[in-house]
Amino acid sequence: MTQFAEMLTYDFMQRSLAAAALVGAVCSVIGVFVVLRGLAFIGAGTAHAAFAGVTLAYLIGVPPLPLAIVFGLATVWITGIMEEQGRMKLDVSIGILYTATMALAILFIGLMKGYNAEVYGYLFGSVLSVTPEELRTIGLLGVLVVGVIVAFAKELYFIAFDQDMAEASGVPARRIFYLLLTLVALTVVVSLKTVGAILVFAMVLIPASTAYQLTHSLKQMTVYAVLIGTVCAVGGVMVSYWWDLPSGPAIVLLATAVFFLSVLFSPKRLRRTSA
Amino acid sequence: MAAPIIRFDHATFGFPGVTALEDISLEIADGEFVGVIGPNGSGKTTLCRAVLGLLPPRSGHLQIFDCACEELRCHHRARIGYLPQKGVLDRNFPITVLEAVMMGRYGALGLFTRPGRQDREIALQALAHVGMQDHQDSALGHLSGGQQQRVLIARALAQQPRVLLLDEPTTGIDMPTQHAVLDLIRRLHRDLRLTVLLITHDINMIRSCVDRLVLLKTRLYAAGPPEEVLRPDVLQQVYGKELVITEKDLIIVEDYHHHH
Repeated sequence: MTQFAEMLTYDFMQRSLAAAALVGAVCSVIGVFVVLRGLAFIGAGTAHAAFAGVTLAYLIGVPPLPLAIVFGLATVWITGIMEEQGRMKLDVSIGILYTATMALAILFIGLMKGYNAEVYGYLFGSVLSVTPEELRTIGLLGVLVVGVIVAFAKELYFIAFDQDMAEASGVPARRIFYLLLTLVALTVVVSLKTVGAILVFAMVLIPASTAYQLTHSLKQMTVYAVLIGTVCAVGGVMVSYWWDLPSGPAIVLLATAVFFLSVLFSPKRLRRTSA
Repeated sequence: MAAPIIRFDHATFGFPGVTALEDISLEIADGEFVGVIGPNGSGKTTLCRAVLGLLPPRSGHLQIFDCACEELRCHHRARIGYLPQKGVLDRNFPITVLEAVMMGRYGALGLFTRPGRQDREIALQALAHVGMQDHQDSALGHLSGGQQQRVLIARALAQQPRVLLLDEPTTGIDMPTQHAVLDLIRRLHRDLRLTVLLITHDINMIRSCVDRLVLLKTRLYAAGPPEEVLRPDVLQQVYGKELVITEKDLIIVEDYHHHH
């Protein structure tokens, strides 16, 4: 317990716990809609695109956040348009975009003079080195994303359940779909520094998929996802502090463990085997 | 005849190079029960999309209520309760019956308005109309096909519609359930004084409950009481050799399952 109290006295630790809690919560709320609307792969591609934006920013010496947002938004919108037109199989087009943006990122890193540790922080996640300014940005973007989700909650649930039906009953379903894609991109950017480009999508997918196993209600699924996401993110940071492990993998592996437990003890699964 | 609630005036629908419906002129009166029939690819679903305001006419006019639907984003949609063709529902999708029915309120509420106590009452009443009030907290995915269909009809009713638009409501469910669903639709038409537009390939099933039948195959071939439309000379124009009429009943011989 004293160890726990001591941990909380460090400024950097307070910041990392706050950042982790914010990222955990925001990722899991958006994750509910990503999982239900079937956008998992789009989000994973976005994370790599956002990372390409970060590397370009470091290469030309500008702040990384705006470029990460631009790259992220461009990717989700392009994939959204491709999904609507259905000209190519979506997994193929995203697969191309995904690897192409990663290639860009590697190219930009190669063009840099020398080794830049900060860039690798965005790739692997480094919540323990979050600065006060970064925490403020995460907080602001997080509040923005959650605020928009709350404002459009009923429309977002409707398009996740049945987009055609939503359109037919007078909901501007297409615009809401693009709004959702935009929120996915912003969420990825918010979380980039904390869990890293490679792992960020786990934070979006895992808490929501875990909650999916546990309930038959949309509202409950959302509440469970936020609880699971926040607890895993904060718990992961503590684990990483105590055992001196990298924070990104600590958070994601903890969430993964919880996910497998939920699959094992899912009421849905139990019902299916007993029926 | 009451004032028309839906009026097609030489309306043509489709995309460049594809005409799905051509030169349709048709008036549907308030409170009518109209069955729309025709072979596959005859434009039945296009008619549906047009009435929902999802597809504007390429030429001619379509008026619904007092609203000319030349523009896509048209607000009359909330007043049309729509039951889409039964798709495959993911049995594990986490949604309760009441949550699904409440979605019927969303279009009418508009953006930035949260559903309140009154909307909940409307949704519960809609569930009572379809006899599913005891299942409000059940998982939608755990219900039988017929029960799911009832819940989705309740969602359409929760819009407090004036028109009920049903796309193949009896396809994909077993025979006894088909009759139960059709009985339910007849009762809703009578009790709630709804205008019903029912799209189907199953002529035998609906011939006894409609006021009028509309026969489509890209063009409108006939519109009138069943006894006028269900005559061999009228039907043969559309179904050709696939039509077989038995002494007692009328059967269209066409294998629909190959097309789905």
